[in-house]
This record gives sequence, C-alpha cells and structure tokens, in this order.
Amino acid sequence: MDLKTEVLIIGGGATGAGIARDLALRGIPSLLVERGDFTSGASGRNQGLLHSGARYAVNDPEAARECIGENRILRRIAPHCIEPTEGLFVSLPEDGPEYRANFIRACAAAGIDALPLSPRETLAMEPRLNPRLIGAVQVPDGAIDPFMLVVENVRDAESRGARFLIHTEVTGLIRDGLRITGARVRDRIADKSYAIAANWVVNATGAWANLILGMAGIRIGLALSKGSMLLTNTRLSERVLNRCRPPSSGDIIVPNDTVSILGTTSLREDDLEHYEVTAEEVTFLIDELSKMIPDVKNERFNRAYAGVRPLLQSQEASDDREISRGFALIDHGSGSGSAGLVTITGGKLMTYRLMAEKTADFLCERMGLHVPCITHLQPLPGAGLGNTLRDRLLHLRRQTPAARGEILCDCELVPREAVDAILREGKVRELQDILHRTRLAKGTCQGGFCVYRLLGLLNELHGEQGSDGSNVVLRSFLEERWKGIRPILWGTALKEEELIESIYKGLFNLVPEEPGRTGGGAT
Amino acid sequence: MKRFDLIVLGTGLAGLTAARTAVETGAKVLIVGRGMGAVTLFGNTIDLLGTIPPGTDIAEGIARWIADHPEHPYARTGVKGIEDALADFRGLFPPPYGFAAEDNGNSLLPTGAGTIRPTYLFPVTMAAGAAMIPSETLIVGFRGFKDFQGDTVSLHLKCRGVNLALPRYGLEGTTALALARLMDAASFRERLGEAIRRQMGGERFIGLPAVLGLRNPAAVLKTLEKTTGARVFEIPLLPPSIPGTRVFHRFREELIAKGATFLMGHSVSRANVKGGRCEGIAVENPPLVTEYCADRYILATGRFLGGGLWAEMEQIVEPLFHLPIFQPGEREQWFGKRFFDPEAHPIHRAGIVTDADLRPVDETGRVVLENVRAAGSILAHHQAIEEKSREGIDIATGFLAAKRALAT
Amino acid sequence: MTKAEKKPVLLPKLPDVCVRCATCMAACPVSRVTPRFPGPKQAGPGAQRFRSASEASVDDWIELCTGCHLCDTVCPAGVPISEMNMMAKAKYLDERGRTFRDWLLVRSDLFGELAARFSKIINPLMKNGILRRLLDALLKIDRRRDLPGYEYPTFRRWFRTRSTAEGATGRRKVAYFYGCFTNTNETDVGKAAVEVLEAHGLEVVVPPQRCCGIPRLGVGDLKGAREMGRRNIEMLLPTVREGIDIVFSSTSCGLMLRHEYSRILHLPGAEELAGSLFDICEFLLRLREEEKASPIFQPLSLKAAYFAPCHLRSLNIGFPALDLLRMIPGLDVRMLEADCCGLGGLYGFKTEKFSIAEEIGKDLTEAAARMNPDIILTDCEGCRMQVRHLTGLRVIHPLQLLRDALNPS
Repeated sequence: MDLKTEVLIIGGGATGAGIARDLALRGIPSLLVERGDFTSGASGRNQGLLHSGARYAVNDPEAARECIGENRILRRIAPHCIEPTEGLFVSLPEDGPEYRANFIRACAAAGIDALPLSPRETLAMEPRLNPRLIGAVQVPDGAIDPFMLVVENVRDAESRGARFLIHTEVTGLIRDGLRITGARVRDRIADKSYAIAANWVVNATGAWANLILGMAGIRIGLALSKGSMLLTNTRLSERVLNRCRPPSSGDIIVPNDTVSILGTTSLREDDLEHYEVTAEEVTFLIDELSKMIPDVKNERFNRAYAGVRPLLQSQEASDDREISRGFALIDHGSGSGSAGLVTITGGKLMTYRLMAEKTADFLCERMGLHVPCITHLQPLPGAGLGNTLRDRLLHLRRQTPAARGEILCDCELVPREAVDAILREGKVRELQDILHRTRLAKGTCQGGFCVYRLLGLLNELHGEQGSDGSNVVLRSFLEERWKGIRPILWGTALKEEELIESIYKGLFNLVPEEPGRTGGGAT
Repeated sequence: MKRFDLIVLGTGLAGLTAARTAVETGAKVLIVGRGMGAVTLFGNTIDLLGTIPPGTDIAEGIARWIADHPEHPYARTGVKGIEDALADFRGLFPPPYGFAAEDNGNSLLPTGAGTIRPTYLFPVTMAAGAAMIPSETLIVGFRGFKDFQGDTVSLHLKCRGVNLALPRYGLEGTTALALARLMDAASFRERLGEAIRRQMGGERFIGLPAVLGLRNPAAVLKTLEKTTGARVFEIPLLPPSIPGTRVFHRFREELIAKGATFLMGHSVSRANVKGGRCEGIAVENPPLVTEYCADRYILATGRFLGGGLWAEMEQIVEPLFHLPIFQPGEREQWFGKRFFDPEAHPIHRAGIVTDADLRPVDETGRVVLENVRAAGSILAHHQAIEEKSREGIDIATGFLAAKRALAT
Repeated sequence: MTKAEKKPVLLPKLPDVCVRCATCMAACPVSRVTPRFPGPKQAGPGAQRFRSASEASVDDWIELCTGCHLCDTVCPAGVPISEMNMMAKAKYLDERGRTFRDWLLVRSDLFGELAARFSKIINPLMKNGILRRLLDALLKIDRRRDLPGYEYPTFRRWFRTRSTAEGATGRRKVAYFYGCFTNTNETDVGKAAVEVLEAHGLEVVVPPQRCCGIPRLGVGDLKGAREMGRRNIEMLLPTVREGIDIVFSSTSCGLMLRHEYSRILHLPGAEELAGSLFDICEFLLRLREEEKASPIFQPLSLKAAYFAPCHLRSLNIGFPALDLLRMIPGLDVRMLEADCCGLGGLYGFKTEKFSIAEEIGKDLTEAAARMNPDIILTDCEGCRMQVRHLTGLRVIHPLQLLRDALNPS
C-alpha cells in the first residue's frame, strides 16, 4: 500500500498540525505522519501557557511582540482551548523595584497591556502569594490546552481534505538524485511498512529534527533542553504567576484545568528517548516556587513530567536560555542537496501558527501559488464551545441522570459517553490515544481507578494483544504512569500510591514476571 | 477522664482483631480509628502467605518462611500464634457465612482483572472460584457497573462472559454497595438468577462480581445456586470491597455487643507520653479534644494509607508516638525505577521494629514505650502486597498484641 | 475530659487529602439507593476540584446529600466530605434561591409555639387529606409523610409551671437544651430528661434558647444558621460561665451546637460553649462512672432495639445511651444494625426526595424485622418519626425508657 500526496508533513505536534491546517485552508493537499499520537512530543509536555510575551519583553522584544500578536490571534480563533486567566508578574523583595520598572517599560514598548498592582491589590487577587511581595504587574497571560488546540487543527484540516496517520513512523527518506521525493514509513501498531511519495517533505519533528535529517545525511545545530514540571492536585491560583525577574528556572505557576503546573527547569539533554525528572529537580522547583507561594512546600502533587525544547543553536552559549527562542525554516535544497525537504524547528507552542504560516508561505512560493494565509482569521471548528471547569460540570448537569451516563473517571468527571464517542470515530488505536483525548487519568489518582474501567472498552481495541492473560495493556499503562508518579512520592501522593499498588499488585496480583508463574496470569 | 483496660488505635483488621481478642477476656476496651480500616478496601479474602504454592501445607510453608525471614512479623507470632488467631477469626463467622481453606493450603482464586491470585481463607461465597474450570464457567457482569469489567475477566480467564442489564437501572451506572443492597432483597436475586439461567449454555460454574449481598450473602448464594443449578462464586473487584465491608460490620457488631466503646470518624491527635509509658490519648472532633486513657495501648494504625506512617520529603515518621521507624534510605531510594520492578519497592519494608512482645524498640533494641504494642501492617520487614500476607499479619499480630498486653 | 482547643484553620484545600479510595462509597446511604446522587467520592472531593469561588455553581446533585455525615465518619483520610458538600450546597442555593417551602420549613420554630397553643385545631388539619394534597401540590411537602402533631402545654411552659421536686434545689445544677421538637411536639422527652436528671441528684435549669439552626444549615442557609447560632451562644454562654454544664437530648441539635457552630459557621464563643455541652446520656454515663450518682434501675422485661442516629455517630462519643440502657436489669437491648433512617431532617418531607428517604429506610425496616423488638429506642426526633413511620413500632427516646426504669410506677 503506497500513498501519494503533495506535502508530506512529519510530526504531529502543534507545528505539524498547524501546517496541515494552513495548507488545507489554501487548498493544498497534505498528509501528516506521526510516530506516536498527536502531541506526544514537546507540544504535549509544556506548561500549557498562553504567553502574553511579557516574559520576553525585557530580553527579547521581538519575541515579545511575536507572542502578544499570536496571543491575540489565538484568543480569537481558539477561545475554547484557552482559559483567559490573566497573569501576574510578582516582585519579591529580592527581585527589586528596578527590574519591575524596566519590565513595565518594556511591556509598553512591545504593546503588551501591563497593569501595575500594589501589594495589597495583588494579595486580594491571589491570597496564597507570599505576603512579603513588593508588587505585581498584570499582563494578558492565560492557560491553553495544547492537546485540544492540536486536535482542533487536525479536525479542521481533515474536514478540508488533509490526511493524518498516527502511530506511523518515518524509517527513511526516498531520494531521487538531489531531490527528496517522499518517505518510507512503518505503521507501528500493525507493523506494516510502505512508502509515501510527496513533492514536498516538511520535517516538523521539533526536537527530533536531526533524527529525520540524519536519514538525508544532514545535521543542523539544535540544542536540546529538558524542562521539568510539577502538577498539583488542585489549583494554587486563579492566574498565571510569574516571578518578575530575568527569565530563570522555577519562576512560573500556570493554572491549567483542575490543576496548576509548576515550572520549570532547564537542563541539557542528549537522550531524546529516556529522560526523567530527577529528585533534585523536584526539590529545586518546590524550594524555588515556595518563595512565590509559601504553601507550595505543603502542596499535594499528582505528577511530574519533563519536555524537551528544541533550541536553535545560533551561537555558542552555555546557558540554553540565552539562545534565541526564534524558530527557523530551513530549505535543505541548495546547500544540502536535498531539494523538496524543509525543516521547521525551534520556536514554541505560542508561535505554532506563525511557524505554520511561514512554512506554508514558503511552500506556496516554491509551488508558484499565490494564496494568502487565513489561519489567523478563520476560527477553529469548536470555537463556540465553552471549556471552563464550570462548563464541564454544567455538561454533566444538563443531561438527565439517566442520560448523564456512567462517570468513568471520578476525579476528572469524564463520562463513558465521551470515550464511546472517541471510539466511534475510529481513529484511536491504543489506550494512550484515548487518554490524550480526554481528561482520563489526569486527576488525583492518575488513572488508578478509571484505567481499569476502560478495560472493557479497550478489549475491542486491543483484543489480540490482551487475550493472552498477561494484561499487557494494564501493565504498560501502570509502567508509563509510574514515570510521572515516582518523582513526587511522599505525603498524600505516597498514600495514594500505596492504594493503587495494593489494587494492582495486591488485589489483582499483577506481578513483575510475565505469566506462567504461580498466581501470575490466567489459568 | 474515661479509663479503659486497653485502647486500640486503628479500625483495620489488626485493630479489630486486637479489640475483639480483648473483649473476649472481659476487658474494657476502647477502639478508635479515623475511618473504616483498609479491610473495607481490600479484605476480600484472608491472605496468609501467597508465596507458598498451593498443595503445600500452610504450617510447613510458614515455618520455613519464618526460618528464612527472622525479622518478619510472623517470626514474632510463630506458626502456633497464627493458627490460634485464625481459629478465633473463624469463630466470628459461623456458618452459613463462614471462612475456610482448601486442604490446609493456598488456593487460587480469580480476580476482577482476570488474573488468579493465591489466598488462604476465603468466604463460602468464593469457594467455587477455587474449583472452577474455565471451559465450564460463565462470567456475569452488569451493564453500568464500571468497577467490574466482566469482559476482561472472561477474556483473560478464557471463560464465556455475559453482561446483563440491571432491572430498574438505566445507563447512569451503579455501585458495588447499591448492587449488594439489591442482592439482599430476595425478589431481586431470584429474578437475577432467572436472568442468568437464560444465558447459560451448560456451564457448571458462574462467576459474579463480589457484591452478593452485605447482610445475608449466604442466602444470596443459595438462591443463585438454586435458580441456576450451577456453583456460584464471587470475584473480588476494585475497592470498596463488599466482602471486606461484611468483615468490618461483623467485627463492629460483635465489639459493640460485647460492650467495647467504638469511636470512628476522628483521628487521635496526640498521645501523652511520660516516663516511657503512654498515659493517654486525645481524640479530636473540632472544636473539641477528648482525652481517654488506659493501662495498655495497641497501635494498629496501618501504613501510609491508613495514616500509621507518614512520609515527609526527607524521612518516614510515625506521627502519633514518633516511634523509631526502620527507614529504607533517602527518598530517591524508596521506590524502584519501574513499577513492576522484580524486587518489591524498598519502602514497603519500612515500619516499626518490635521485640518479641510486639513492643516498639529503637535501633539498639531497647523498648521505647513499655505499655504500647504495635500490630498489623505498620510493622517493619514484611511486604504484604507482594507476599499476599496482609490479613494474616493483621490477624496474627493483632491477636498476639492483645494477648500480650492483657497478660501484663 | 473534653475541652475546646484553639486549632489552626482547616486545611485550605480539602480535596487534597482525599486518596480516592472509595471507602465512602461503601457507606453513603443516598448513592446506594439512587444513581441520581453520584456518591461522596465524586460529589465531594471530586467535584470540589472543579468548583471556583468566582464562578456560579452548577452541580445540582449536591442537593441530594442528606448531610448525614456518614462519609466523614468512615473516611480513612479525614476528608471533611459533608462539610465540602454543605458549602457547595450553600453556594448553589444562595445563587439559585430557595423555595418558599424551604423558607417555611426552616422557620417551624417560629410558628411552633403558636401551633402548639392551637394544637387541637392544627393537628387534625395536618391529617386532613385535602390540605395535605394542597401542601403537596403547592409546596412539595410530601403527603405520604405524617406531619408531627403539636402538644400543649409546651415543654417550656410545663417546666415553668411545675413544682420542683422536693429537695431538688440547692443541688449541683445542670442546664438543659431541649430543642424545638421536644418543646412543641414531643414534650414527654423533655419531661423524661428532667426526671432522669433529677433522679441523678441534679437540679435542672432551662436557660433561654432558640432553634439551634440546623434546619437552616440543611438548606445551606449559612447566614440564617449563623444568626440562630449567634443568638444561642449569647443566651447560653452566661450559663457556661457560671460553671454549669449544658446537656442536650436531641443529637442533631447537639451536633449543631457542639461542632457546626465552630467548624462550619466559625461563630465567636462557639468553642467556649462546646466545651460545656454534653449529650445527656454521655453526661449521665460519666456521672455514674465517676460514681457521683447511681440511682438504681428497676427491671424492665422488654426486647429493645437501639438505633444510633447518624448525627450521634458524628458526635463520636460512642453509644452512651446503649451503655446506660444495658444497666437496666431484664432489658434485652441490642444495636439495630442499620446505618441511616433516611429522613435526613426536613429532607424526607420534600416530595422530590421522599422516595429516596423511603428507600434508605427500607434497610432499617428489614434490620428491625430480623430483630423483631418490642420497642425501638433512638436519640433523634427525626429518626424516631421515620422509624415509627417505617416499622409501626413504638419508638421512643432512650431517656423515656430510663425514666420508666427509675420510676417503676
């Protein structure tokens, strides 16, 4: 089974999905392949922050202007993916009034609304903040749901003819002389390989860019920086909280859905497949952020996770934060002898649309087409729907109890119907895909209860793999879950873990060995 | 101030056993716990030591285990101590709802994940599960009952499975307790039996989620077996555990009937310790704090989940008496890198180390509090989750702690 | 020794303590009979994570919580689930407004005295089928529920006009908080309380008092409840400051005075009051244990079942009435193994909740049928009403039986 398309996009993160949508709106056919599920790379492992740009205002005014521009566009085209929480830049005594003054000036220069607040006003808005604070500045930060954003881009693009293949990895690029004419891919679940022919291949794999380029014998200067984050059980604040000081580690708390996300660290990372949150990072984040909110020390955490940022190496620098966050669009035709291959990398979630626009502009120009970008004008399909916490409770209430259906996840109030609807679409291929598309397993018990409840629904999806009695689906979920849980195991989270371990290892006797051992698997 | 012969802290199986052992001797007992103990979550069966293969005599197996594990709580109770304690436990559950073992060894019972697991004593409602033959078994689940995935059980056990729609319930879902309550009503279980019979294709065994009634499980079993003509068994499922709740209710009923004071719902906020003895405890129900005292105390507050142990970021503590705790290194070393590490996570070995009398000792082996004994999962050097020894440790050490405490 | 201690404020983020273990799901009387209430795990700490002070409440299922507190008493993590539900219910109903029925029912204390005075007219009216249909249709007060009859003279009037027992003055004093229901609907409980206390060598005083406010709390009217609480504290504190202990015979009033005034309503003076408040049986038991008084109980040949009200369980003082009843020779008294009668105060009177209350009550009916007692004893007036309604048996306050055992005439 070989496929053909005009533009082959590699990578199902925000950038890839954005490009697919942009091209679709211009009437250009594309096909996107993603090794895992959408957002399984950096797009799904960030802070969920809708930047106002204020963070960059002092150091990088250009990035700040770019951010606030995209901020305004996203509020217009994707209101349902955004919670307009506003953000505060909080000055502690050690941050000093000078930076604050600079900050306010720089925001004004970048066109970012910045409202200075007195300590009293600040504490009235966010009572958990350190009472020693000397003031704050309110900026139009917000929270964004990256997964919904990507899925909405995909839905829109798909309705306009774009095609998407998840769990499909690129195993090689197809070359015809000095031109790249497609890629060989493998369906990782069905274990089938085939070729996709394309006139253009866009490498939108972010941190993994060199993995694809290596297949064409190319390498670009890309630094990888790991950022670790902690997730609380309940919201710590109503607004995004930033430290009002030069950008550094451990300076932000983002309210996101039911939780808050504490971040971040910044460490060089070489191994893209095996990185983890260390105990030191956890301790560092808690120590550092408890300066802003003293309660952080007693906070209950649900999970820790890390993402890898692709940072363009424009110059030699020891601290990754000095490297520009700007993105680069690289044409591998002239210098590298791989015409038709384009890499878009660097950048950040906030600029995904702009990156897509530039990429599509470039492709159009090469194709000789003169179609303008309209992604900044055209709202995403679900833009009329609400997505606040209240909306989710409301959704449950609106229905009569009988139609409300079973609530599979008691922590995040996900009804069975939501999962059924996803399964009916027929696009998900494994448990993690369902988890990505819902809030299942994102709450207090991190799927401890609801993953069992999903098993009945998954039997269809995993029938063959699951039937040998080894409970491979459940095991691999628990093992994946463990990565996020292990770094935060103390206090109440540790109690929770004893419960979950008692269920799966105790009550259900899932033991380390594969079946065959006494009591391990089926009879 | 109210004075008792014995105060038991904790309403899990260890505390319940200790309190019951004490009231049997006529002692004036106070039992106090923050809530219902872990028996309500996991106490489906009475595990003794799952590592002993079925077919091996349990006493022999435990004797060998004790020889190999001299620090294990069972080394404190000895085989005889376990046997006496279990006999006492079984005495609390007379027929028709009794607990039994098969051939004095471990049996393998199916679980809600479709696995099988070893256990020692099981209630009469699970007996057929040990004997079931997959090809002759029908697994019955209920639509709208999310905590028991019948399809998964039948898939893994290689049985036939069926999901029944519940009369009177629509799509809104139901809970284990609601189902157990329905089962307690004769008319419901008769109709259910009929519904199951119509689904049968010659099966001789029927597996159902462990919700066969809270008040009268033996009658539910009888009705279902009569209407279906097959042997019926319960399969343990996600917490809360209905069989465990039965155990809890039975103990509570017995303790209250025998005059014990049963306090549940508020935590013990502090203990008064003077001169190596506990002189009293304070129970907190805001805004009030009530003090109680006794000559002897048994600490059976469980592990982390029960609140007997608490993990700070740097160390593990016992929050009430601040007893010395056996620590498995620093936080980074508490848990293995994988959830399914071949070795149990080191933290599971943490807990209170005691003398032969179950009195907590410090690192030098010195008794810390003369009139306090520790029982149940709070003890160090067992791995109840992996070993499948949770209830055995609770019952054996709870029994021993009460006996030893009252002998002083 | 019970005393009030200055406590730091409650954990600010209550759902964080919950480990999702579902123990509460093995206890909730509502979710076990109706899927309309998702149960304490979801409706409590689950939904709490979605609630925001700045947004309007939407989870209407919170209204189905009866406020029995059983979830609190079984929770192994110490999550104050019913408090969370109460606050959510209060906010929900504050925004949505309360019905005239709720307004009326929570003010029964105001017209109770008047109704008692005209009980001869009122009582037959409340049994009148046409009127009940009207009440049902207009106010949604379920007509299948017997409304309690009024009695005259009221307890208060009786107490004021009675001649004090001989030699009862000059003894150690104890103050009695009788509660509205005892005052106007079940005066004999109050009379029994006074007689039993006097038999234990005490002089009973009745300080001025108002409705404790728990009916208002039941409909989430924190403001109204706070107002009742404030007045009661004002009226009762002088007694406390004289060094006189106050006893209550209604467990729900007792829970309100002793715990909710402080825990939920944060009223000034509540802690001071709480330290001197006792359940009457708890108080008597302590007197006997300290051997300060031990009048002899005469034998009573009866088979009795004792039912522990939910709010007594929440007081967490054990079952002092049961301990006292066991001192009566010949009385075969056993615990009725049921955990909630279902009435939930005013809850079971409301047409939309009647069937839930009835269904919960069925378990109690069956437990009673298994025991087949001559009489059922329980400390709470709501439970007594419901248990009478469910079983048709004689249902009285333990004090009334204790009085009988003290005065075998």
